[in-house]
Amino acid sequence: MATKVLSVDDSRTIRMIVGKAFRPYDCQMVEACNGEEGLATAAREKPDLIILDVTMPVMDGVTMLTKLKEDATLKSIPVIMLTAESGRDNVLQIAKLGVRDYLVKPFKEDQLIEKAGKIITLQKKAA
Amino acid sequence: MTQTLDLANVREFLTRHFIDVFDTMLSIKAIPAAKTEVPHHGERVSGSVGFAGENMNGVLYIHVSAPFAKQVAATMMGVTPEEISNDHEVNDVIGEVSNMVTGGLKSWMCDIGTECAMSTPAIIRGNSFSIEPMEDVQRDLLVFDCGTEKVIVEIHIKIN
Repeated sequence: MATKVLSVDDSRTIRMIVGKAFRPYDCQMVEACNGEEGLATAAREKPDLIILDVTMPVMDGVTMLTKLKEDATLKSIPVIMLTAESGRDNVLQIAKLGVRDYLVKPFKEDQLIEKAGKIITLQKKAA
Repeated sequence: MTQTLDLANVREFLTRHFIDVFDTMLSIKAIPAAKTEVPHHGERVSGSVGFAGENMNGVLYIHVSAPFAKQVAATMMGVTPEEISNDHEVNDVIGEVSNMVTGGLKSWMCDIGTECAMSTPAIIRGNSFSIEPMEDVQRDLLVFDCGTEKVIVEIHIKIN
C-alpha cells in the first residue's frame, strides 16, 4: 500500500511543489488548503505524514497542530512544518508543539525528501 | 555585532535573501544591478506583503514583467509556460515568492529584536501604475538582473 502524505498549505504553488517532490516515490498525495480542512482530511485519510504550513487563513498551522496533538486518534501522525519565518521565536514555538521536523521556505525538494525519508519509508516507483 | 533596523541594513539583508529565494526555488541567478525606477510600460505583475510591528511598519513589493511572471510560475510548478492556463496560478506563485522574501525579512527583524506580523500576499496587475509612499515613509528599490529580465524589489518602511 502506498505511503499517504497530506500537504496542508493555502498556496496551491507550495502544494504543487510538495506533490512534485514526492512524485518519484510510491506515495499517495492528499491536499488541504487550511488547518480546518487539514484536520478533517487527516481524520478521514489517516496519512502517514503531514507537511503543514504555518501561516494560513481560517485555521493556521500552529492551531491545527495543537488540535492534532489533542486528538488521541491523530496525535501519532508525524508532522513536518513549513514556515517562511526562520526567526528564533518562531522556530522555538514550533519545536515546543512536538513537530518531527521543520523546513524554512525557500526550500529545495531534495531537502523535503531528505527530512521525510527520516520519518517514513519512501520507495521509488517502479520504472 | 548587533544590527539595527535601518534602511541600509534592510537593503543588505534583502539583497542576500532575494538572491537565495530565487536560487533555491527557481534555480535563477539574480544579480544586483544599478538602481532604476519601476518601468511604466508593458504589463506588470506586482506581489505585495505588508508587515507591521511596534516600532515600524511597511510594505514589500516585487515587480516583474507579465511574461517573466509566467516563466517564474512555470519553473516553480515544474510545467511549461504554455501549460499555465490562467492568471490565478501566476498570481499564486508571485504571491508566494513575495511571502518568502518578506518572511525572511520578518525573521531577520525578529532576530534583531523587532517583532512584526505579516499580511497575506496581494497582487497588482496592470500596464501603467506607480506606487507612491505615504509621507514619512522611506522607500528603496533593489534591482536584480535575472537573465534578460529585471526584477525590482521595492520596500516602503516607516521606522518609529
